[in-house]
Amino acid sequence: MSKQIDLLQGTLDMLILKAVSLGPLHGYGVLLRIQQISGEQLEIQQGSLYPALYRLEHQGWITSEWGESDNNRKAKFYRLTAAGRRQLHAETEKWNRMASLIANVLRTTAEEI
Amino acid sequence: MNLLARFRSWVRWMGNGRKLDGEMETEMRFHMESYAAELVGKGMSQREAMRAARIEFGGVESHKDAMRAAVGIRWWSELGSDLRHGWRLFYKNPAFSAVAVLTLALGVGANTAIFSIVNAVLLRPLPYPDPDRLVRIFFNEPGVGLRDVRFSKPELDDLETRSGVFEDVSPIFEGSEDVTGAGQPERVEGVNGSFSYFSMLGVTPQIGRLFGPQDFVPGFSAEAVISDGLWRRAYGADPHVLGRTIRIDNDPITIIGVLPRGFRHPGPTVAGDAEVFCAGGFSGDPFPPPMRGTRVLVSGIGRLKRGLTLAEAQVRLTVMAAQIRRDFPTDYPPQAQWTIEIQPLQETLVGKVRPMLLVLLGAVILIVFIVSLNIANLLLARASGRQQEMAVRSALGASRSRMVRQMLTESMLLSLIGGVAGVATAVGTLSFILRFVPSNVPRLNEVRIDWVVLAFALLISILTGLMFGLAPALHLAKSALSSAIREGGRGSGYSTKTGRLRDVLIVSELAFAVILMVGAGLLLRTLRDLLQESPGFNPTQVVTANIQLPNPNESEADPYHDIPRRAAFDRELLRRMKAIPGVELAAITSALPATNTNPNAVGGIPIEGFAIEDRPVESSQDLSAERIRISSDYFKVLQTTLLRGRSFTEGDEDGKPLVAVIDESTAHKYWPTSDPLGRRVRFGRDATKPWTTVVGVVKDIKSDGLDIDGVPHIYVSTYQDNGKRLSVVLRTSLPADLLEPQIRHEIQGIDPGLPVFNVSSMNDVLDRSLASRRFSADLVGGFAGLAVLLASIGIYGLLAYMVGQRSREIGIRMALGARRDDILRMFLRKGSVLAGVGIVAGLVFSAFTASMMASLLYGVRPHDRLVFLAVPLLLFAVAVLASYFPARRATKVDPMFALREI
Repeated sequence: MSKQIDLLQGTLDMLILKAVSLGPLHGYGVLLRIQQISGEQLEIQQGSLYPALYRLEHQGWITSEWGESDNNRKAKFYRLTAAGRRQLHAETEKWNRMASLIANVLRTTAEEI
Repeated sequence: MNLLARFRSWVRWMGNGRKLDGEMETEMRFHMESYAAELVGKGMSQREAMRAARIEFGGVESHKDAMRAAVGIRWWSELGSDLRHGWRLFYKNPAFSAVAVLTLALGVGANTAIFSIVNAVLLRPLPYPDPDRLVRIFFNEPGVGLRDVRFSKPELDDLETRSGVFEDVSPIFEGSEDVTGAGQPERVEGVNGSFSYFSMLGVTPQIGRLFGPQDFVPGFSAEAVISDGLWRRAYGADPHVLGRTIRIDNDPITIIGVLPRGFRHPGPTVAGDAEVFCAGGFSGDPFPPPMRGTRVLVSGIGRLKRGLTLAEAQVRLTVMAAQIRRDFPTDYPPQAQWTIEIQPLQETLVGKVRPMLLVLLGAVILIVFIVSLNIANLLLARASGRQQEMAVRSALGASRSRMVRQMLTESMLLSLIGGVAGVATAVGTLSFILRFVPSNVPRLNEVRIDWVVLAFALLISILTGLMFGLAPALHLAKSALSSAIREGGRGSGYSTKTGRLRDVLIVSELAFAVILMVGAGLLLRTLRDLLQESPGFNPTQVVTANIQLPNPNESEADPYHDIPRRAAFDRELLRRMKAIPGVELAAITSALPATNTNPNAVGGIPIEGFAIEDRPVESSQDLSAERIRISSDYFKVLQTTLLRGRSFTEGDEDGKPLVAVIDESTAHKYWPTSDPLGRRVRFGRDATKPWTTVVGVVKDIKSDGLDIDGVPHIYVSTYQDNGKRLSVVLRTSLPADLLEPQIRHEIQGIDPGLPVFNVSSMNDVLDRSLASRRFSADLVGGFAGLAVLLASIGIYGLLAYMVGQRSREIGIRMALGARRDDILRMFLRKGSVLAGVGIVAGLVFSAFTASMMASLLYGVRPHDRLVFLAVPLLLFAVAVLASYFPARRATKVDPMFALREI
């Protein structure tokens, strides 16, 4: 477990949006997808996923629909909305700018000042 | 942000909590089971896998909470559960709930009822278009201390044309008129105004038409507009009433229109609403020629021009008055400083009753405070029993604000139930209450429970809920975290924090009670003084009746046109009254004592200026007295002592030398050092009128009301000087209702068209004149009694609770040698200290509130020593008594029993 990284504050929403942008998923599916694409590197509190899903749906960024899972059970599937796609885009931009900025800051050496 | 999306989602789940709950459950179970299945796939047993999944997932309930919060409905679902919890508590403690709801219903109900009156009388604008522009016009002579003097037709014209501030002006004559020709002869209230009276008030007729400038005649028009009430009563709402002729004071008058239902003349009338409206030009017969100095018009109302403020209009009128004084120096003696004043009409109408209504409103608000303090006390007592519940809640993770919210929800539930009960009480009893409201309060017909009143009731309920809920809630939430769980709810004595809070509540309750009691004391003392006040005559075994002779506009049609004809009527009236079996003596007066409620009405008695022979004219400007016309036996009927000289005789009649009897006030005021007998006076400013000789002095009669002192009176003989409004006073041992048919029969035997009204005993007349004071004194007195009761219950409850909580301590004290007397004293001291602090605080506040009541008092100073001494003593005695019973119970604690409890 030591190799796993705790999720940064506020990034869960972005990850969920990314996960469902690749295709409709149920809650458990979102968890699996995030773990899968992160190469099992991210630690997500399973239960905290749901308030986040509800929050995103409340904002109108994702929408839900009851359907059947692979093992023929009733499950709720989440899908990205147009507003959600814009939101994801904006968040990604912001994240990338932030990340490169911080990386730049951290790369700075004494001579450069 | 995405307000629309969020609102849509909120609406979707709002009120759909159960469905949301199911969906959340299904979704999360699916998650856990899927995870468990994966773990089973990795080789775990089914049971172990499920357990691990549950642990990994975390608390389902707290996740659900977070999800509800995420869609914005957590607050609501919590409110729902708090309400359910509160309702269960309410239901489980029927005794507590009943006491709380009943006292609240009383408090909120009283507030709602009184406020509905305040709202209708003081707050709601007058029911006319643009009521802010309606003003009452006063003519004053501040130089000689006269306000609201009469005015003349040229002065009225100045207002209309010269001043430039009025859109419309109308002089107003209010009075009662005899109406015949529509069933029974009736006496109704009438108003005579100008032809612009209706356009000024902005009213449109129900049927027919109203007066307008095209109807102008110099004298009185022979047409009338009648009220909806009279139309329905006398004509059965017949639409063909237009063009019908009735006789008003013997004049044939044609009805031209009917006013809409609910229209009301904006002024005081002698009794009830005005029902007949006539108009006149005030310059032709029966009016005297329009001379500047001939001031016959009584009162005036005007509508200001649009866009003009009251202050601007006042400035222009003051300037105009000064110019007029310069233009006509002979008509305006400089020392009188004649001027014109305007006042908002609403203020004129309700200004007099405002202090009384505000005092009543203050009293009911104090009552609801006391009620809520009492409930706060009960809640605090209950709260100490709920410390454990709160401790458990906080241990389970409830935040402090969450717990405060829960407690406040409970209080709000209680106060709103009480509020609904209160409003229901007010609605149910309003018409009953209104019957006791004295009729001199204007606009009572407009009183109803409307949205403003309901909003006020809601506000009062919320405030009381906050007031009695906040203190216990904060206290409980704070103490919940402390040692309650450890203590297992068994009180370790009287904890100082709750104790201090409860002490503060009791002290405030007592302070409020003191304020109410002082107010009630002052009002009751005023009333008692007035009841004991000698009116200057003996009102028992006196029966009175009122008659108004008709006042037709055509003087040829008037059988009572001049003094000799009226004197003949008076003699015949007295002869017939004396002939009624059981009547010992009979007399006539133009002003029945204590009934002069409307000095502006026709027949009302204005204070008149007069001159004294051989005194310089300048000083005669400030000589004024009320002239009352009486018959010879008047003082005998009233058993008023004649101090000097003689009273009138049958021989003091027209053609003989004019004579007058004055009262002590007049004698002291105008002849302080000399003997008034034989001196001569002359009424009015007309120097050609003959002099009247003073022939007697009588004791003062409180003719203008028991609470009005020092008005000088000059009595004249009704055979020499008389008017059309008169009252008979009969000395008899028979009751008024028995005599009434005979009085009526005899009077209508002289003239069948004369209605007789207000037949009642003199005692009832005096009583009625105090109705308004009695009403406020009784009401505030009742509230004060209630306040004392509630405060003593509060003190009793607090000490009884303390005794229960401290029984172990008492046991130990007794085991260590304290005597029962010491224990008794200990608790009595506690009660007395609380009472003492509360009473002192209350007295300090009362010093302020009492001064605000000054205008309602008579014969009692606001800081009356007796009241300020008796109230604290009485309340202190009650408080000590209320503490005595629990204190005595403390002495009955068995030390052995208490010690074994430890």
